[in-house]
Amino acid sequence: MGSLERSKKKVQLWKKAIVHFGLCFVMGFFTGFAPAGKASFFSSHVVASSKSQSLPQPVEMLHQQAASTPHAGYLNRSLIAESPMSTPSRSTESERAKFSEKEEETEPKFPPRRLAVIVTPISAKDPYQGVFLRRLANTIRLVPPPLLWIVVEGQSESDEVSEILRKTGIMYRHLVFRENFTDPEAELDHQRNVALRHIEQHRLSGIVHFAGLSNFYDLGFFDELRQIEVFGTWPMALLSANKNKVIIEGPVCDSSQVIGWHLKIMNNETDTKPPIHISSFGFNSSILWDPERWGRPSSVQQTSQNSIKFVKQVALEDETKLKGIPPEDCSKIMLWRLNLSISKSTSY
Amino acid sequence: MKFSLLQQSYMNRRSGSFRGASAPLDSSTDNTIKSPAAIFWLVLHGLCCLISLLLGFRFSRLVFFFLFSTSTTTTLYVTAPFRPLTETTAISSPLTNSVNDLPVRIPVINKTVSSSSRVVVGRHGIRIRPWPHPNPSEVMKAHQIIETVQREQRVQFGVKSPRTLIVVTPTYVRTFQTLHLTGVMHSLMLLPYDVVWIVVEAGGVTNETASIIAKSGVKTRHIGFNQKMPNSWEGRHRLETKMRLRALRVVREEKMDGIVMFADDSNMHSMELFDEIQNVKWFGAVSVGIIAHSGVEENLPNPAMPVQGPACNASNKLVGWHTFNSLPYEGKSAVYIDDRATVLPRKLEWAGFVLNSRLLWKEAEDKPEWVKDFDLVGENIESPLALLKDPFMVEPLGSCGRQVLLWWLRVEARADSKFPPGWIIDPPLEITVPSKRTPWPDAPPELPSSEKITINQEQTVKRSSKTRSPRSKRRSKRKHEAKLVETQVSARRSEQN
Amino acid sequence: MEIRKWVFVGVIWYAGFVLSIGAVELGRSQHTERISGSAGDVLEDDPVGRLKVFVYELPSKYNKKILQKDPRCLTHMFAAEIFMHRFLLSSPVRTLNPAEADWFYTPVYTTCDLTPNGLPLPFKSPRMMRSAIQLISSNWPYWNRTEGADHFFVVPHDFGACFHYQEEKAIERGILPLLQRATLVQTFGQRNHVCLKDGSITVPPYAPPQKMQTHLIPEKTPRSIFVYFRGLFYDVGNDPEGGYYARGARAAVWENFKDNPLFDISTEHPATYYEDMQRAVFCLCPLGWAPWSPRLVEAVIFGCIPVIIADDIVLPFADAIPWEEIGVFVDEKDVPNLDTILTSIPPEVILRKQRLLANPSMKQAMLFPQPAQAGDAFHQVLNGLARKLPHDRSVYLKSGEKLLNWTAGPVGDLKPW
Repeated sequence: MGSLERSKKKVQLWKKAIVHFGLCFVMGFFTGFAPAGKASFFSSHVVASSKSQSLPQPVEMLHQQAASTPHAGYLNRSLIAESPMSTPSRSTESERAKFSEKEEETEPKFPPRRLAVIVTPISAKDPYQGVFLRRLANTIRLVPPPLLWIVVEGQSESDEVSEILRKTGIMYRHLVFRENFTDPEAELDHQRNVALRHIEQHRLSGIVHFAGLSNFYDLGFFDELRQIEVFGTWPMALLSANKNKVIIEGPVCDSSQVIGWHLKIMNNETDTKPPIHISSFGFNSSILWDPERWGRPSSVQQTSQNSIKFVKQVALEDETKLKGIPPEDCSKIMLWRLNLSISKSTSY
Repeated sequence: MKFSLLQQSYMNRRSGSFRGASAPLDSSTDNTIKSPAAIFWLVLHGLCCLISLLLGFRFSRLVFFFLFSTSTTTTLYVTAPFRPLTETTAISSPLTNSVNDLPVRIPVINKTVSSSSRVVVGRHGIRIRPWPHPNPSEVMKAHQIIETVQREQRVQFGVKSPRTLIVVTPTYVRTFQTLHLTGVMHSLMLLPYDVVWIVVEAGGVTNETASIIAKSGVKTRHIGFNQKMPNSWEGRHRLETKMRLRALRVVREEKMDGIVMFADDSNMHSMELFDEIQNVKWFGAVSVGIIAHSGVEENLPNPAMPVQGPACNASNKLVGWHTFNSLPYEGKSAVYIDDRATVLPRKLEWAGFVLNSRLLWKEAEDKPEWVKDFDLVGENIESPLALLKDPFMVEPLGSCGRQVLLWWLRVEARADSKFPPGWIIDPPLEITVPSKRTPWPDAPPELPSSEKITINQEQTVKRSSKTRSPRSKRRSKRKHEAKLVETQVSARRSEQN
Repeated sequence: MEIRKWVFVGVIWYAGFVLSIGAVELGRSQHTERISGSAGDVLEDDPVGRLKVFVYELPSKYNKKILQKDPRCLTHMFAAEIFMHRFLLSSPVRTLNPAEADWFYTPVYTTCDLTPNGLPLPFKSPRMMRSAIQLISSNWPYWNRTEGADHFFVVPHDFGACFHYQEEKAIERGILPLLQRATLVQTFGQRNHVCLKDGSITVPPYAPPQKMQTHLIPEKTPRSIFVYFRGLFYDVGNDPEGGYYARGARAAVWENFKDNPLFDISTEHPATYYEDMQRAVFCLCPLGWAPWSPRLVEAVIFGCIPVIIADDIVLPFADAIPWEEIGVFVDEKDVPNLDTILTSIPPEVILRKQRLLANPSMKQAMLFPQPAQAGDAFHQVLNGLARKLPHDRSVYLKSGEKLLNWTAGPVGDLKPW
């Protein structure tokens, strides 16, 4: 072999060696990026070798790695902590035994459902608010998740409401406002607006329903509520003590198409009470914070602070999107309202 | 400083190695020389490869450490290519996006302040993921977790080995039944222990009642009682007592084991009540809050809610009973169910008592002496106290009656009130306002515009058609000229039948 | 051949260099490892009899007078420095004979200098500390014996003995040169940070024990909040453009999860803050300006699994408390996936974490109660100090040997206090 050829070969050899070293270095380098807290060399080695096919595209690989980090990172972080997972199965077993089939039945994997946002304004002026709140909570507690209960209350010394809510186990938000009101109507509107502002600020996505303390529900109602796409409305029965009248108001439907309304009469023209009760409709909360989605140019903030009026207005415009529930001609009453003079402020 | 040097050298190396990596890999295939020297070189070569692998690893850990330990550049959603940090002391102008406008904002401005610190001080990206809403199945998973946690809490801190609860409820079909009975039913449905619900219905078993209680999912016994509910409160109280005794007889005959409580359909319960009554040994009493209302609006100041229940002395011994003071209602109380006057409770309501079902059994071990034989108790008793020889053996529950966990609200419609059977409106309601004209008042006076209302030709509408003015925050003092159409609609009562 | 040689030398040098750095890193990260298996073991140690502490008698201008001037120092997050002093004065480990002492404590309240708003600003702290050290080194022989290696100081400020509230400045300053040999008891803890030196003891921030006690609710109260957080997301005043505060992590929490009904997050502190924590499953403990926050203590006390979002944080008493097992650690870069991360933790693991959190010794170790109780944070500090005994012989200097440079540091620090 000529020396020229030798040196040529040598150079080639060196080149090869350097390529290999470089290759290994890169491999090691990327292995190092594998997010291993206590990564032992060998485990990381395996990772590296399994990824080596993608070596020719190092940049892509970086992306790939980056994309996989959240998951891997998580696995590492918490699975390490969880590794002594042989938790005493004491609790799970004993509880199986303790809780009857009833619990088990409701247990099986929850199918994803739409969020129900239930808004309940409460007034300290009502001496029985605690009682009615507990009763309503017992009903809401039975509604399958996800459900968010927004309870709006004026500031008060007593923590009665917080205490009652705390014991329910319902996922709730307890909103407290400072303003004082003399007119209970205005207070209620304000309370609803406080709740809607919360929904808007948090961009919560779900079906909003106003549940007064004197509302009584058939649990099937909440299933129907979740079927609403944009706006929904339903008939409601108003029961008053010692009357022989049961007042039913709400939509008249053909299937789930609203074809008209059935209203209780209004006695005088100055009555500013809305003839349709606030509890008899529900709406998709996204109209509060995503008006474009519903083909509206403006959002609440642009119109006014009065979200509740805004909502009614939207309903007014979009009657075609109004859905009557239950879909069988809206004929089943699933919501009753008790009109008690003592809880007048909340009965409304 | 040396770290930054390292970084730079690393950069050089890295770009070099990338080039190397993209060089043809098959260069190794021509290696055919087989001699001890060659093998030595091969081993050495392999060793060196291994070393560079380790070095690469070590080095990348270091780099990783530098760059990412304080979380910086590379994020999951970077669109810009990976830009490694070199030590920049000058802050380049930051991206001045407002927080909401861009889904991904990764400013790459950082500076390592001190040469001896590995901390990256400076601006970091606010990582906002492109998908805006929570994944619904994850939401459900979270709810499952919450449920598991709550169940574990009940196991650990709740009532240990709870006894079966035998709930006795007298009822009858009427306008308010659904409303009342669902309330009680919802409370029972929440109970984490075994429940047997004995529903005694006056006037015989009906589908109306059966369809309500069928939804409960708890074990129910629906018993008919072939006597009509009378229309006077007095008569109703008396019949309800008989109905309850009937249920107790079932408990006795079938030797049901558990705690018997009396849940009237007009009761409202705090869930704590059910845990509390698990403490009863033989015969307990709890306080009942009385919601006395008259059905007519009164402008009375709200007095403290009257409470009926056990009264204790300072040492928590039962000394007597708080009873409802009916004096202020003298002559004003309701006699008939549909009177518009305050409904008064009995001296002591049944709902305030709980008892161990073994008291009712013909024979039970260590059944106390002070209990009368159930068969000897007549039909016309006032309260469950009549079951006892010594009323002071009653165990006062709920912090000796100081806690009110149960309320009593008697409210009924008029006896002649009708309601759609099963609360299904059939035939459909009559339309009082046609569609295309929602009944919401379009605008209370202060809302400026009420636009796009399709006017129904059947109605005469006094609305002056307004031009679409852009909504403004200006508070319009305009009179409420948009009179509601429905006010002119024939005054049709909506009640059915 | 020459090239080959050159390459070899290069490779070996390089290997040595990189690996040695690695070793440093490894050494640093190791001191968070726990000493023994379960938390209870170490937490329930009784330090009495295992060490003796001598408390220097300082003029009251270093401690009591400062407190008299501003009693608010007793309630803020750094109050541990005062309570530690009070505790040591009446502790059985205290010795009045400095000759038999294992540790020397200098009671100086360097963080008790509050703005009208109650924010502690440590501008005077370095001078004050320096003055105190000068005093003890001239009045007693013990400082000079080791130049502080058997002394400990309580420096609970944001960045410990770096004595500045801004991280950048704090890093620039570094640990006060005079304290470089002493053991520091501090709230600040972050790995590989100039303000945390080896051998420091990280303590929990001070949270008012009595106040927390009065807000305890029954343990059976159902936990109905999935994730809870109350606090700032953006510190608009100090960080108008965002991205500096909390390294953007808190902002990311808000931007990604405000619309998630499972995340009960808000800037408003409700009256029921403590109660709400007790009905939450997870409580976020993201970094703020410094990696730690009082939420850590609150979460442990209230049995809410802490979700720690602060890369490289060194947690209080990490050698005794199994933080990895009671908490959830989320990298700052993983905040956008917080919901996925938390919902994919198996329920058994969550229950296990809750059971560990219910351990009273863990809660006790987080608090500085008055009067002190066995196993509380004071005792854990003593335990930590006892575990460092005996002192290595090498800390004792030969007579005349000087290691500390008394003139190092910014000129401003050298002015008399």
